[in-house]
Amino acid sequence: MTAASVTGTPPRLSRAGRLVLLVLLLVALALLGIGLGSSRMSLDRVLLALAGEGARSDGIIVWSLRMPRLLMAVLCGGALALAGFILQRATRNVLAAPSVLGIVDGGALGVMIFLFLFSNESNALTVSILWQPLAAASGALLFAAAVVLLAVRTGAPPLRIILYGVALGALAKAGVTLFMIDGPVHRASQAATWLAGSVHEARWSDVSTLAAALAVLVPLAFLVMRRMDQLQLDEQSAAATGLPVRATQLVLFALATCLTAAAVSFAGAVGFVGLVAPHAARLVIGGRALPQAVGALLLGSAMLVAADLAVRIAFAPLEVPAGAVTAVIGAPYFLFILLRAGRVHA
Amino acid sequence: MPRLSLSFGLLALIALLAAASLHLGVRFTPTGDVWRALTEGGDDQTALIVATLRVPRTLIALTVGGALGLSGLLLQTATRNPLAEPGLLGINAGAGFAVVLLVVFAGVQSLSVIALAACIGALLCAALVFGLALSAGGMASPSHLLLAGVTIAALLSSGIQIVIVADERTMEELLFWLSGGFADRDMRLLLLAAPASLLIALAVWRMAPMLDALLADDLTAQSLGVPVLKVRFVVLVAAALLAGISVSVAGPVAFIGLAAPHLARLGGAQAHGALVPLSILTGSALALAADIAARFVIHPSEAPVGVLLAAVGVPTLLYLLQRKRLGAAA
Repeated sequence: MTAASVTGTPPRLSRAGRLVLLVLLLVALALLGIGLGSSRMSLDRVLLALAGEGARSDGIIVWSLRMPRLLMAVLCGGALALAGFILQRATRNVLAAPSVLGIVDGGALGVMIFLFLFSNESNALTVSILWQPLAAASGALLFAAAVVLLAVRTGAPPLRIILYGVALGALAKAGVTLFMIDGPVHRASQAATWLAGSVHEARWSDVSTLAAALAVLVPLAFLVMRRMDQLQLDEQSAAATGLPVRATQLVLFALATCLTAAAVSFAGAVGFVGLVAPHAARLVIGGRALPQAVGALLLGSAMLVAADLAVRIAFAPLEVPAGAVTAVIGAPYFLFILLRAGRVHA
Repeated sequence: MPRLSLSFGLLALIALLAAASLHLGVRFTPTGDVWRALTEGGDDQTALIVATLRVPRTLIALTVGGALGLSGLLLQTATRNPLAEPGLLGINAGAGFAVVLLVVFAGVQSLSVIALAACIGALLCAALVFGLALSAGGMASPSHLLLAGVTIAALLSSGIQIVIVADERTMEELLFWLSGGFADRDMRLLLLAAPASLLIALAVWRMAPMLDALLADDLTAQSLGVPVLKVRFVVLVAAALLAGISVSVAGPVAFIGLAAPHLARLGGAQAHGALVPLSILTGSALALAADIAARFVIHPSEAPVGVLLAAVGVPTLLYLLQRKRLGAAA
């Protein structure tokens, strides 16, 4: 796929303009996300509550219930989308995504082992649930490290990273299934919620931990953005520009792993966003890696916020995990821009 | 000819596994009894177990494993993407969605109706994905096909998930079908599925040189005199048919389609003349081995075959990856 074919959208609006539109979209979704729920608030009440004025009950609903949930969706969606973007560049594969390359499955296995080790006979946890994110992150990082270690021995060409990632991911997934059928039903349903991914139990402590992690990881990702442009060339040309290709690919893989681990430890295995948001950004924004990455961040956030909004409106009082409907929200939009891009090419 | 010896080795392995599959189960059946059940039939319990339980699942594992292995190879070749696999055409999700709709809203219980619905759902979904890809970029850009497929598959999987969350009773009923496997399936389906798969496989094998050309970039293939778009389309349709057949017989079975072609390649095959049969044989062997292992892991009940596919396939894959560390495939 050449640069010319991916930037084919007609310049009706400048790239910056399109990014601003995405920001506005995200803000609008966020305001809706704060206003809608089991009790509805009008826009002025939302704004008053945000400013710290207005009714006391509104303030409590906004600041202690809806805000952490909203921020969690924004941060997780953005982190997963950026991780997917980086992985697709690093492996040069359109299908690469956090959930494809074994990272998320490793996290899932970590959660299962945690639930297995620290549950007593009556299925109550013997340690605080606050440790669960740590278990997920360790699982994800361990599996990704194994992928890297195995691939490095063969010089770490992208195909090897992909194959090792898929293989270890399949193993982890098998482990998760075994734990689920072997364990009590209660544990299986707890795990199923994690596997679908949701943000409805977000706490402020989770949000701030995740924000701190992303405050380090996202700038790092943007630092290596220029190298991602070089990576788009074929390997020899990329090497000729002075880029240490294999090392860059490994660094990118590590970055994407950390981003994924941070996101899934708190929200669970939210799917689809990490795969599709980067492609949507490529089709909508186009151009060099930097604006595309920003677009992916915004689109990923918007997708997860919209999905969370949808489960609150459509399924209340049932708590359907937001991860179960990211595809319902994201797929029609993505197909639309995919088809539009096709028409422009023709 | 190392490839030839590999093929014969795999054939011998499959024969061995098939024999084991007839002997092993909750209870071991001695060879004499197996032979008697196969040749004479009979009404005693042993004969019934062999003839109505073990023979069907063995044949189904053989057919479906081979069909999925070939389908995966065709997809990986046509899209030039090592991550491509039959599920990506939305086939499993389409079949699953059709079955869920049928069971939830029409209350259908009959397995053969479910299989028919699965087949129709799978093919409709594949047609939808093809249609979307054609209007989004044409056969000229296989990555659009993958993206359209992934999107539709995710959409329908969400649909399945939502229905299941909303209706737990259905989940109990459908979990068996949705988890995929070779046991307790309707063997009559094979009467149609096996010959159809075999015909497609033979046709594809004849096209092997053209498939080799597809792996090069489009311009090179064209200059070799290969009508790229036409061949790619035919190959993708064949892959969709094979996957549709598999899912209607055995439900969605993952991993074989992805792993079997890679195992065949790591085994040393490069050209499609060797890759096509080797992918089929590897797929069948994987399916049989996993199906046998599934009987023992959580003895005496059956483990989901997907778990065992990973347990059998991944170590093999890792071993071959490490062994071929200096291989040219990059």
